[in-house]
Amino acid sequence: MWSTAYGLIALAAVAFAVLYTVAHTPTLTAVSLADQLYNAKSWLAQNLPAFARTEKLSHFRLYSNVVRVKAVNATAYNAGQLVKFSVALPLGYRLEREGRNVLYQLFLNVTACRRVAAPRGEPYVLYEVELRHSLDPLPWLEVYAAVPRNSTEFYNWLYSLYKAWGRPPAVGLDPMVGADAGLVELVKAEHVLLYDATDGVARLYAAAPVSAAYILVVDYPLAAPLTCAYENLGVGTQDDIPVIEPPNPPELVK
Amino acid sequence: MIFLRDVLIFAGLVALAAAVITSLFPVHEGPSAVPACSDCAFKLVGEYRIVQYGNYASLYLGTREVARYGWAYVEGKPLSIDETYSCAPEPTYVWVFGGVVHISCRGLEPKVGREIGFRKPAVELETSADWRGPGCLFTVELLTNVANGTLATVDVYDEGGRLVASRNLAIPGSFSFRAFRAGAYRVHIYAPPYVDRWLKAYATVGITSLINASVYTTNNTQDLRQLVSLKIFNLTPNWKSGRSSAAVTLNPRGDYFTVSDTGAFADFLLAWEDCRACDSTYGALYIDEVWLVSFKEKPELRRMRSEGGFWHEIYADGTLIYAHNKDSPKNDVYIGNNPFISVGFKSQDSTMNARATFVKECYWG
Repeated sequence: MWSTAYGLIALAAVAFAVLYTVAHTPTLTAVSLADQLYNAKSWLAQNLPAFARTEKLSHFRLYSNVVRVKAVNATAYNAGQLVKFSVALPLGYRLEREGRNVLYQLFLNVTACRRVAAPRGEPYVLYEVELRHSLDPLPWLEVYAAVPRNSTEFYNWLYSLYKAWGRPPAVGLDPMVGADAGLVELVKAEHVLLYDATDGVARLYAAAPVSAAYILVVDYPLAAPLTCAYENLGVGTQDDIPVIEPPNPPELVK
Repeated sequence: MIFLRDVLIFAGLVALAAAVITSLFPVHEGPSAVPACSDCAFKLVGEYRIVQYGNYASLYLGTREVARYGWAYVEGKPLSIDETYSCAPEPTYVWVFGGVVHISCRGLEPKVGREIGFRKPAVELETSADWRGPGCLFTVELLTNVANGTLATVDVYDEGGRLVASRNLAIPGSFSFRAFRAGAYRVHIYAPPYVDRWLKAYATVGITSLINASVYTTNNTQDLRQLVSLKIFNLTPNWKSGRSSAAVTLNPRGDYFTVSDTGAFADFLLAWEDCRACDSTYGALYIDEVWLVSFKEKPELRRMRSEGGFWHEIYADGTLIYAHNKDSPKNDVYIGNNPFISVGFKSQDSTMNARATFVKECYWG
């Protein structure tokens, strides 16, 4: 009986010592911010085509995970005939996703598109995009211009989506980003990111060839297509070609 | 008794041993080292404290420095230089991201990445109006992301600055008002601290497709033949200035017509001359046909006077409704079904034919 009592007391003492040590030993768990950030961005990339689309600026200014679009007319060939249909042009994103230890927010909004000439005179479009992000050093930012290999095929493909769904497809975004891989060629677009000390909004300037259907802003693995809000798109429109009238010949004085 | 004494002695010895062992544990100088890592999370129990220096932060156990980090953040806020923080006797939860240490006594996971304004409570307005609708209904929708339940006040003032409508509502919600009289309205939307905005709402009757016609807001007695055979007098400004009736003088002889305010959205007096070369004494009298256009629930066209030797035909929305000196319909009143009405006058002297279209237009400015 005595030995049992000593044994119990000794066991209690040992248990105390063990528990105390365990409680005071830091247990290490690895935290990978890079993984969390990657997962947050992948989630956004996967769900990008499913986010709510709005043409109302008030909605775009209020809610998260929305895409600002503009519905415009486009034309395509269907059975040898020009057909008119409507497409949605993605113009801005408000994206947000939280990981366990990371808050990823990205705001993209096309504010202007301007026709410019490249150094050798090729016609380019300069996109001005407002950009705000929650993590200062974006791991990297790439901008591509998506140039249709054959614009007739590209718009016919959009028209087939329109016919199948009965609603306007979003250029570059439907049915998913990169679904048009066979139809467009992604060329690196020259870009520059300007931080403005006066308004806290960074501006991304990207130059894309005039024939590009959209630009793709890539914060790997998230890729967001952005367009210019032109009124008419597609084949058979001559919007991009300015008509230069020959000057009137001087009249002869008789 | 002996049993009890031995148990007490043994328990005392064990307690002594436990106290000696305990004194060796991390409270002062423990056996376990603080993990050195650049991206990790762990929990510390004991007399730990973090001290921020000018170019690094030190984690101390008692007086011994056990780890160094780039900077220290406590519950999301960075420590300032020479600041010290300790959770003891509560456990300290530590996260290290890229060499920067985040400390929480409550175990709240820190988040890397600053909020860029998405979660800021905000209120936005969405306006709509039934442009060319019969009701002239203006709607302001107040939307919000997280400021639900905020009270907003919407006040509507007329041109004279008089309050004509007012309502308190909880956001999100919407407010609608109907303009019963043509004019410009100012709408104040006030929901501190989110919104304090003034908007303008225009309720008008636009007059388009004028042929041989002109619009006046005061008396006009001139003979304007060749240019104007139909004089349109806009009476609404009189009602808005508080008058209950107006006498419109419309020819060189001084003939006038009195019209009373019936509370219509807008009233117009139409005075028409049928002949290019008649009325040699005074000039054109513009009383061959006198009609009143009133926008009530629906637009109304009402005859006030017809005279003259020529035949006339009066058309409303393309239909012949009245004829003078001619066998034809004799409707003194026409009520349209649209938010617009077009009125046409035809004369035996076709050079005097005139027409005008009145359209109710309501829009946000």
